[in-house]
Amino acid sequence: MDQTSVILVWIAYLLYAATFAVFLIGFFTQRPGMNRLGIVVAAVGLVSQTLALILRGIDAGHFPFVGVYESMVLVAWAIVLVWHVLEAFTRIKAVGLYVMPVVLVLLTIALIEYDPPVGLAPALRSDIVILHVIVMLVAIGCFYVAGGAAIIYLIEETLLRRRKTGGVLGRLPSLAALDRLIYHATLLGLPFLTMGMAAGVIRAETFRVPGWPTDPMVLLSAAAWVVYLVLIAGRVRRDWSGTAVAWLSVVGLVLLLVIRFAAVPYLSGFHTYGG
Amino acid sequence: MLVVVAGISHKTAPLELRERLALDEEASLRVAQELLDEGVACEAVALSTCNRTELYLYGRDSLAARQAALAHLARHAGVSPAELEPSLYSYSGDGAITHLFRVTSSLDSMVVGEAQIVAQLKAAYQQACDGGCTSVVFNRLFRHALEVGKRVRTETAIGERPVSVSSAAVELALQVFGKLRDHTVLIVGAGETSELTATHLKAHGIQRILVANRTLDTSMELARRVGGEAVRFEDLERHLAEADIVISSTSAPHYVVTRETVERAFKRRRHRPMFLIDIAVPRDLDPEINRVRDAYLYDIDDLQHVVEHNRHEREKEAEHAERIVEQELASVNDWLRSLEVVPTIATLREAVEDIRRSELDRLGSKMSDLTDEQRARVDMLTASIVNKILHVPTVKMKEVAGRDQCYLYVDAVRTLFDLDGAEAGDETAGDNAARASAADVAASNEQPAAERADADEQPAAPPGNVRHLRGTGTEDA
Repeated sequence: MDQTSVILVWIAYLLYAATFAVFLIGFFTQRPGMNRLGIVVAAVGLVSQTLALILRGIDAGHFPFVGVYESMVLVAWAIVLVWHVLEAFTRIKAVGLYVMPVVLVLLTIALIEYDPPVGLAPALRSDIVILHVIVMLVAIGCFYVAGGAAIIYLIEETLLRRRKTGGVLGRLPSLAALDRLIYHATLLGLPFLTMGMAAGVIRAETFRVPGWPTDPMVLLSAAAWVVYLVLIAGRVRRDWSGTAVAWLSVVGLVLLLVIRFAAVPYLSGFHTYGG
Repeated sequence: MLVVVAGISHKTAPLELRERLALDEEASLRVAQELLDEGVACEAVALSTCNRTELYLYGRDSLAARQAALAHLARHAGVSPAELEPSLYSYSGDGAITHLFRVTSSLDSMVVGEAQIVAQLKAAYQQACDGGCTSVVFNRLFRHALEVGKRVRTETAIGERPVSVSSAAVELALQVFGKLRDHTVLIVGAGETSELTATHLKAHGIQRILVANRTLDTSMELARRVGGEAVRFEDLERHLAEADIVISSTSAPHYVVTRETVERAFKRRRHRPMFLIDIAVPRDLDPEINRVRDAYLYDIDDLQHVVEHNRHEREKEAEHAERIVEQELASVNDWLRSLEVVPTIATLREAVEDIRRSELDRLGSKMSDLTDEQRARVDMLTASIVNKILHVPTVKMKEVAGRDQCYLYVDAVRTLFDLDGAEAGDETAGDNAARASAADVAASNEQPAAERADADEQPAAPPGNVRHLRGTGTEDA
């Protein structure tokens, strides 16, 4: 059964690669309909990946978030899902151009670091842990999409300011649209991050995990939470310019990346599930 | 028979001459009808825009058609033919069709990629069609030309990027704000380009237009024209805080808006971006404004640069469009060739022979008791019937072959016998209707045509007859 699951992940991987190629062609040739095609192909990929996760979960006997393989597939899945939802509402093209390579990198790591399904360690056998993981995934998906929009915003802002009006400028969404996407994605992600952190704290307190408040991952997450809160507050009150909002979003994204690729494997005392 | 075009355009004639040659609706139709009455052409369309005046003719003699076109255009403009001659260009056959397709694709336009020409050509054709100046060939050719224009527009990016200062300014504003509906534009000074830009912005849904000029009367006048409101020049700073887009084109010798003014405006705007366009020379807006966060300043040079770049891009796309024109020319030529008499007779004979063969094959089993000799006789008999039936139409077609309207007979034969049956599927319904109606008329004229053929060589059918044939345009085009 796990073999089927891996094949499904591969299918999703190839479909996302195809989506990326379609987006690239659409971006450079400006042919109408390419964006739509890309989204449909990605949706098929998402279905395949969802099935893969379900099969993996049945096989392992638990929600599949343990180890590099499962967590990477899961994060990639969450990002694609959130992107689809936000795309449906905002209809902003070009963000897919950023989302797809990120997802492909995550899935590449997953497929290289494949490990067979294992049972759940006793410490992780808890509903509140599962809740913690799920809401964190949604939050991460939102912040990755927001970060992508922010990167595009900053590039476009620079082009506009330096009057590099040829090339890609006309193909990018408007600054206002990107600004709205950053705001909405962050606004959606922040409550989930808050919920996830609350779940984590409850869990740590209940089981009296030693020294959790000074754990690097907890500290970094708290920092990211503050960054996103400041972003939302500033955006609502118009205290921040669009550029500042975009930079904050990028800072938040960097914090998330540090958490995932440095804190989880090397620093954290108890968030060791991700290997 | 061949397509001929003769005319002048921005490439060959100065504006002064183009003005004199411009034909209004009524004059276009009159010129076309006169050319038909003279017998130099069987079909005619006059196209007149601010950049070109052209006559498209379908006739036998390209030189005669050119001379007639020259004479009519010169007379209409009140200039001597010798004066017009150097500016007049003419093409015939493939050259004329290519020219028509290049015109509809806006490849021949002053601004390559502009979109108006398609509508202008459509109107010119429609008018000629309603006036009974077009028939089988032009009905098909002009509809095809409009399709070519559409194809070039969808398959290339020829019309994508703006190539005028005002539209480039609007495009950049869209890049910043996305939708313009809820935004405010402030026009400082009343220049032509700022008015044009305001009109463009209005077309993109902008609701609020403020006009500030040193003389209030001028502001009010401009505000009335663009549907905005005039504000006092002294209140400029206050209105700057409201404005998302600022277009400045005063004749002031110094900066009208300084960096400090904009910074003060932003204290009230709270980081909502502002897009400033400086069209004035000397400049109105302090270039330092571009350093203010959330403010984007473009001056006339920047916009010219955008325009230049886009024009270059369009030229690249134009190469792609030229290839499309070539392809389309080939497909039209295939059809025009089918309107010739000799290949049509051959096709007709083949079609009828096919019917005879298949009927013989079908009956073969029922006639199994016939001897080989008897079979040979049946074969000869049927072949002889076919030949007898086809003899008169063949002779008649060869007779009309030398006449101007022969292609109408050919078209009728092709339609009646469904000789293009294999292609009928991909023709538009309107096209078939046009051809069918043309065929009806041609068929009803068979009798007098035959009589004339008996009488003697008659160079052309009477004009009334021709006009009748021509009145078979389509309604849907």
